[in-house]
Amino acid sequence: MSGFATLSHAWMAWDGPAPAPGDAVLDRTRELDKFLAEVERRAFRIAQVSLRDPDDALDVVQDSMLKLARNYGERPSAEWRPLFYRILENSIRDLQRRRMVRKRLMVWMPGAKEDPEDEAQDPLDNVAAAGPDAPELLMQAEAMRQLEISLRALPARQREAFMLRNFEGMDVAETAAAMGCSEGSVKTHYSRAVHTLRTQLGEVWR
Amino acid sequence: MNERPLGNPPYAADAAAEVLEQHGRRLFDASVENLDMRIRSRLNQARQSALEAAAAPRPRWLRVPLWTRAAGFTTAGALALALWIGGPQGQHAASLADGASNLEDLEMVASADENSADAIEMLQDDIEFYDWAAGKSAPESGNVG
Repeated sequence: MSGFATLSHAWMAWDGPAPAPGDAVLDRTRELDKFLAEVERRAFRIAQVSLRDPDDALDVVQDSMLKLARNYGERPSAEWRPLFYRILENSIRDLQRRRMVRKRLMVWMPGAKEDPEDEAQDPLDNVAAAGPDAPELLMQAEAMRQLEISLRALPARQREAFMLRNFEGMDVAETAAAMGCSEGSVKTHYSRAVHTLRTQLGEVWR
Repeated sequence: MNERPLGNPPYAADAAAEVLEQHGRRLFDASVENLDMRIRSRLNQARQSALEAAAAPRPRWLRVPLWTRAAGFTTAGALALALWIGGPQGQHAASLADGASNLEDLEMVASADENSADAIEMLQDDIEFYDWAAGKSAPESGNVG
């Protein structure tokens, strides 16, 4: 009986996924690992488009992975994707808010320098090492740079809708779940984003 | 995952929009493929760290009561708003040109939820989403929570 009480107490202190037989836990961890491995690079690029700084993007992705694993690892795996992107978008917004508050603080400090994070990152930093197809890679990188500039100029919700629908290939319902808004809002944000991007990039990409 | 064919863009209203959507998606896919090994390696490490950390129980002292979070949230919001409103006049007088972005900034700052790191805050924020998630999982599992 005292053994049961100890076990019960340990369970009350446990914040992670609910315990299950060993094999099931291992399978679940493997499944989660596989899911995260599938989305991590795309998630990183989405974060980087919004935040520019690769270190910030890495932090946000790792934080999102941790939150998903810790809080939702036991949810059905079909729900992980919208949950993960919901967490990612929230984390991106949190970081942008922190930057904004920091920027306001800097205004109060005489002689304070601009936040170095605001300096533009060179997208070519992340292009793979030059190979035989380097010219094509450079052209792609330049086109992507134009797209990123235009995406950053969009309102945040339009940018999110475009990246989740177009880059991630989510359907309207998934996107609405990931953005925490109605499907109608997703359609509106998305069509406005496409319209603006087409206006800005149409000539370049024609 | 991500299997949507390029020939089927989500909302291509016309040919120009379709070109934009397809080209944008191809560029994004290429930029993902071309991520350098350093970033790939760091992402792999981040994933392993996240899975390990998630598997480890959090110590009791790290678990902050809900009222403490609420107080922190309120203080952060008030501070952010004070900074916004009370900053030196010349630095952020909104012009017509940047009015829209300032409004968006204000919205983000006013809704600041620093340290919204856990499920409880997300639950408070996103009732609709959890309704959706609960609806999706209801047939398979009744033990989630």
